[in-house]
Amino acid sequence: MNMQQAVPPRSVNGIGRRRGEKEPGNRFDNKLSTGKINSGRLTASGKGVLGSDKRIDNESPSRERLVYLTTCLIGHHVEIQVIDGSVFSGIFHATNADKDFGIILKMARLTKAGSSRGQKNISDSANKPASKTLIIPATELVQIIAKGVAVTMDGLASELQQEKQQDIMTDSTISHSRHVDVERELGRWVPDEDVPECPELDNIFDGPWNRGWDQFEANETLFGVKSTFNEDLYTTKLDRGPQTRELEREALRIAREIEVEDTQDLHLAEERGIQLPRDIELDEETRYSSVFRGVNDSGYDEKENLLDSRNIETFGGASDSSIGKSFTAFKSGKSNDVAEMPSSSSSMDDIQSSQSMRQWSASHDQIKQFSSDPHHTSLLALDGGSRVREGEVNENLAVSSFKELEKKTLNADTQPSKPRELNSSFGQNKGSEGQENTLNTPGHGIAASASVHRPRVSPSSSKGSLSTLNPHAKEFKLNPNAKSFTPNPTTIRPVSPVSDGSYYYQANVPAVPNMHGIPVAIGVGQSFGGHQPVMFNPQAAAMQAPQPFFHPNGPQHLLQYGQHMILGQPRQVVYMPTYPQEMQYKGREF
Amino acid sequence: MNMTTGVGEEEIAVGCILAIKTTLGDEFEGQVLTFDRVSNILVLQDSVPAAGVLKSSNGRRNIRMLKANFIKEVTFLGQADEDPLDVNKCFLDLNTLHSKELSAIRQAEIDSERIGVGVTPEAQSIFDALSKTLPVRWDKTVIVVMNEVRVSSPYTSERVTGGTPAANERVRKVLELERKRLQNRSPAQ
Repeated sequence: MNMQQAVPPRSVNGIGRRRGEKEPGNRFDNKLSTGKINSGRLTASGKGVLGSDKRIDNESPSRERLVYLTTCLIGHHVEIQVIDGSVFSGIFHATNADKDFGIILKMARLTKAGSSRGQKNISDSANKPASKTLIIPATELVQIIAKGVAVTMDGLASELQQEKQQDIMTDSTISHSRHVDVERELGRWVPDEDVPECPELDNIFDGPWNRGWDQFEANETLFGVKSTFNEDLYTTKLDRGPQTRELEREALRIAREIEVEDTQDLHLAEERGIQLPRDIELDEETRYSSVFRGVNDSGYDEKENLLDSRNIETFGGASDSSIGKSFTAFKSGKSNDVAEMPSSSSSMDDIQSSQSMRQWSASHDQIKQFSSDPHHTSLLALDGGSRVREGEVNENLAVSSFKELEKKTLNADTQPSKPRELNSSFGQNKGSEGQENTLNTPGHGIAASASVHRPRVSPSSSKGSLSTLNPHAKEFKLNPNAKSFTPNPTTIRPVSPVSDGSYYYQANVPAVPNMHGIPVAIGVGQSFGGHQPVMFNPQAAAMQAPQPFFHPNGPQHLLQYGQHMILGQPRQVVYMPTYPQEMQYKGREF
Repeated sequence: MNMTTGVGEEEIAVGCILAIKTTLGDEFEGQVLTFDRVSNILVLQDSVPAAGVLKSSNGRRNIRMLKANFIKEVTFLGQADEDPLDVNKCFLDLNTLHSKELSAIRQAEIDSERIGVGVTPEAQSIFDALSKTLPVRWDKTVIVVMNEVRVSSPYTSERVTGGTPAANERVRKVLELERKRLQNRSPAQ
């Protein structure tokens, strides 16, 4: 049954030819205009025997399946074996399904030469350029092999997904790791014969007391190292006397008691599996953050207990008197300290919120002034760690102002309120602005007054103690004429010339002309030697939004760092056109 | 149900699992997806393990289309119960196919750019290693790094020319490192 159509004979020379008019895809496309196999026809003969259909027309179900499967191959990487044994690999482009299935490949190359040309090294042939189009006549076709073809919808869906994923530049695609030679064959490790005898690894996890293995002894014999290890340096020595057993029992009992003890502390409760009353709103931050929130607002009474006990357990209650003092009740207008201040505060009310950032920076510097005080370091750290939010800013402000208060001994007899009251003023900032306002008012007043009324104190102490946080920081001078800053979400994004889609490619292209002396390692802050440790963006070229906010001196770096926290623009690290030329080429050191 | 060579009048059922030897010496097993007498093409997919795992989790299969006149030997191994090609799920979108082809071609073009014409495999592997961290391209048989530094055959450190001293130095270092790495690998192979 010779089904071959009449094809003019061609000379076989083992390599695909460029000439030849096969109808690439016209009729092929027409056949599949609906894209779906006529399932009606197929279901009749879906199972069972297909060969019974003796019609020699192109509509037989088997034919349709063939055509369908062939269509699935379009765009796929295939390998075609031809008569002389050569294998071509390329991208399947078309076939003339209505005739005899000649194949057209794109970007094809010979991967295995057939016997007529002798065995050749594959890599040699890989170095020849790929032919853009390769036509393989049906007479030479032996077989087509395609791997990983999506035939049904399941396959197609996953393929689409993969295509989409490939648009994202992952590190492995960027580094083209697939082009590198495969790593050497891995062999199972066998220990060398001449290695000094090791303890049996099987019982490595036995308790040290019955393992029969003394590491110090071994070290000494093997390497001559004399150990100075004394266990008692690291642990309490137990008096193992006649009463050991009883003491142990007692200890266990106490331990058990503690473990099932009820607690209001969030964290302990979670550990012990105690369910807290459900009405308390607890987000992840409350539960798991290690940031010490400190004093709470007066409005959140129900949380007082929780935070209160947390504080006590963390900080040891009243024993830590300085902290207690620094947290003296800052309830609006309740304490005497506060009452004295409101004079200058009223003017601040209006621009209170807008100046919050400025005051934050003010307080930050003042915090630094007190850095020498060890008790405050914990609060300092917390201040640094807290997020830049308006509400919180005000909290910190209040805290710092209080520290200031204490230092300046404005009122020696601050009321030693219980920590409980203090805790109430800080915490979740879901609250009313009103409360924050009242809280801030005295705060602002204090800050302003402090800087105004006691200028002597701040500069003098500033020189000495600025050091611990940032040695390069310049002293903050209050600039009453500075414009107020309000973080506005819409102006945060500076206009960047780098378009979204070409993010990575842009990095590549400019890297080439900029090669003179500019490190290719993009965005590595440390290598830039540095006057400013955290500066990524060039001088005001990219940042357009908060221009007026740049104080000439003062915590510039902090603010910019803060901006980075707000903006979170990783892409700016690519933007480095204005680097000083004298910067040495700091590539990677090998 | 043993079949003789060539295409006779026997019916080849869909779902049969066959072991085939071709006239060119290939041997493989597969499950019949379809057989078209007109064109004499038999389509097989890699035969499924009997455990009932029909296909890989992402629905892809390895497909083989063979001209039946090259079959030397056929052995019938078994018959699956159902049609391996679920007809109801057979949909094709020509647009998708077209774009798939275009992207494949694009990728192939990019790949071919990376391969030097008429260079030794060693040179190619050096090129590949360099390209992991540096922008490189071929210029005949010369590796051009960052458009400035040129490395010509035989691609040793002495052959690194051009570019600023710093860039030159860097390329040299990378080259040495890659060579060392390749050397370490080859004895193990």
